[in-house]
Amino acid sequence: MITVVAGPCGAGKTTWILQELAQMPMPAVYIALGADTVPIDATRVTARFPQVEIFHHRPEKELLQRLAAEVPIYFELGFQLETDVPLLEARPHRRVALVAEENRDAGWQLWADEVICGNHSTLDLQAAQLWRAPLTGQVFDPPSLDEMLIELTGGAYGNVHRVKGIFELPDGRAFHVDFVKGLPGIEYTELNLPHWRSGRPDRFSGIEVVGWNLEQETIAQTVRDGCLSDGAIAHYQEQYKALISDEINPEESVLA
Amino acid sequence: MQWAILSGIEGNLAAYEAVLQDIRQQRSPVTALYALGDVIGLKGDNEAVIRRLQSPRPGELDPQVCIGWWEEQCFSLHGLSGLPDAPELMAQFGGDGVKQLWESVSRESVRWLRSLHFGFHELDCLLIHGSTVSYADELTPGTPAIQLCDRLLRADANTLFCGRSGQTFHLKIPEGAVTSTVTTLDAAAQTMTQTVRDRQIVGVGSVGKEPGKATYTLYSPYTNAVSFRTVRYGTQGKGFGAV
Amino acid sequence: MKLAVISCIHGNYEALNAVLSDIDAQKADQIYCLGDLVGYGPYPNAVVELIRSLDIPTVQGCWDEDIVEGLNACECSYPSQLAEKRGRLAHEWTNTVIRPKVREYLATLPMTLRLDNLCFVHGSPNSQHEYLLPSMDSFAALERVLSTDADVLFCGHTHVPYVRNLGDGTLTVSVQRPGKDALETQFKTPVKQIVNVGSVGEPRHGRPNATYVLYDTDTAQVELREVPYEVAKTCMAILEEGLPPIFAWRLARGMEFAERADDPSHVCQR
Repeated sequence: MITVVAGPCGAGKTTWILQELAQMPMPAVYIALGADTVPIDATRVTARFPQVEIFHHRPEKELLQRLAAEVPIYFELGFQLETDVPLLEARPHRRVALVAEENRDAGWQLWADEVICGNHSTLDLQAAQLWRAPLTGQVFDPPSLDEMLIELTGGAYGNVHRVKGIFELPDGRAFHVDFVKGLPGIEYTELNLPHWRSGRPDRFSGIEVVGWNLEQETIAQTVRDGCLSDGAIAHYQEQYKALISDEINPEESVLA
Repeated sequence: MQWAILSGIEGNLAAYEAVLQDIRQQRSPVTALYALGDVIGLKGDNEAVIRRLQSPRPGELDPQVCIGWWEEQCFSLHGLSGLPDAPELMAQFGGDGVKQLWESVSRESVRWLRSLHFGFHELDCLLIHGSTVSYADELTPGTPAIQLCDRLLRADANTLFCGRSGQTFHLKIPEGAVTSTVTTLDAAAQTMTQTVRDRQIVGVGSVGKEPGKATYTLYSPYTNAVSFRTVRYGTQGKGFGAV
Repeated sequence: MKLAVISCIHGNYEALNAVLSDIDAQKADQIYCLGDLVGYGPYPNAVVELIRSLDIPTVQGCWDEDIVEGLNACECSYPSQLAEKRGRLAHEWTNTVIRPKVREYLATLPMTLRLDNLCFVHGSPNSQHEYLLPSMDSFAALERVLSTDADVLFCGHTHVPYVRNLGDGTLTVSVQRPGKDALETQFKTPVKQIVNVGSVGEPRHGRPNATYVLYDTDTAQVELREVPYEVAKTCMAILEEGLPPIFAWRLARGMEFAERADDPSHVCQR
């Protein structure tokens, strides 16, 4: 069974899919269209459900095999994408739209088999800009990351409607960060991944910003200013290693 | 299990040997040995003491050594930290003192001293030469009570062992309280009372400062018992004995 | 006598002018200033010249020190890497525009000032860099006041004003020395006060208004003052001078240009 999920930016599409996945027997397949080099949603899905297969640039043939084996397939459409996907033509699928009451125009009603209440979106699609950057290998100074996100979501670098990202911290943890204009606060969720404590993490991290009048150069610079140097990363990792060996063998700690 | 905590060898090898002998003779075995700085000084053989600390004999404890006032003077002379040319040393011991310290510690030993820590956090104790404020912070029973309390809070420890004063003392703060009322632009006055309970500062004594008499401290972390040892020693066959 | 105590102007001339007008209107007899005249803001020279022309007794702040001594704050002075990069930009800019006479004046500023039972410092009596936050341990806070021998300690540096009364202080101390009996002593401290006067030019209490304090030496009354000024003018000047636009954005929100350090009691050992 193919389930196609669509909705405005920040409606809660990935979150809804994660809820579905949590309720069903594994395995399953997840496909996010348009994520390209910044697969934030796919990374979030795998971290939560490692058994879920992520189909990204994989032959259609393999997908058909899963379909034949009755593996549930979740297809997440990007908000900026057309809802016509060639692969889906002539294949039975269930269309789910996540749309807030205020955003429900005839288009959504017509397209979807099922309309579920999503987060309200005030994004003007005509003016919307998308800025995204892979950050793989970058590790953030935590207070700088906080400050950058507060400024970014507070409108210091243009009108920001949505921020999502995956960020690596020096203690080895990776966090999924989620902000939607109109919803309270910035959500930080630790990803269920091994703590990376040797060198720069060799796994995906990245950021995506949606809004209008975005000062993309300044955003990029501020993000860069919060990234730690090789030396700083090594220093932190050494400290955490010492801390852990202390916990295992609590002899003493030293003041350095 | 108990710890032996000492400070201020000041290059006095005979005094340090006497203390080691006294430690060996303890009925309840000493399981850890801390030297809270000032292993070097002007009066003895700094190199010999450093070698002794670096290479304990078979069966001896490996001393855990931290930096003291004298080591900091040495670093300053070598341009390794703080102000250059050791102005504190100059002020207290003059040009001769500076020359003597410079000549009595080899570059290799300076490097070793530089690799030492500023102090040790162990269980709920901080072991340090002065305090977390500075290596030169001299705490004594005469230090204002609130300042002692502040040093304990900064140490983030229930027990603070220090050696700067060279004195042996056991100072307890069984209790204390202060009421604080804060008013801000956006909030009316809020009052809270803060208390402090059962903290202590221990002056661990001095091994090498006074010729013929070394003092150090024994501590049992599980019973929280502090005891001071005075070790008389001499060079003419008087033998060692604790008083 | 009615005192007005101001601090942390940070080159914000508009804010200083508004505060001085308010002080006039409040009929204060004497003004004291707790430093950080320069740094971040667009008018460091004009601010210093105005303070000098009014003969306002002033202590040296950490930014004034850095402009005199060169930037040698250890990284611990900054709460984040981002704040550090911005701090450096602000320092370099200020360092280029500052006039030699202004620098000379900043070098002459004392670390503390006294007036009868009052003591004036920038950060704390220990250091220009130490933050006396209202949440600081009460014993530690009391120690800072007692170390000055004063009854009231005026400070700035945190950019959020508050008044803190420390009363009913008791401390029991017992001392045991070898061969002697234990000696127990009870200490009691009289009421002491910390008055943080906030910030004229870089407020952080969540609104863009300048803050300062009025103190009546006869009644010991403290009044926290909040003064609106034309923030937009300073913001425009920040942009015109080529300072980072984010400074203007934060100023307009009462967020301060750089957040405060994580470990407020950390004292840099330089």
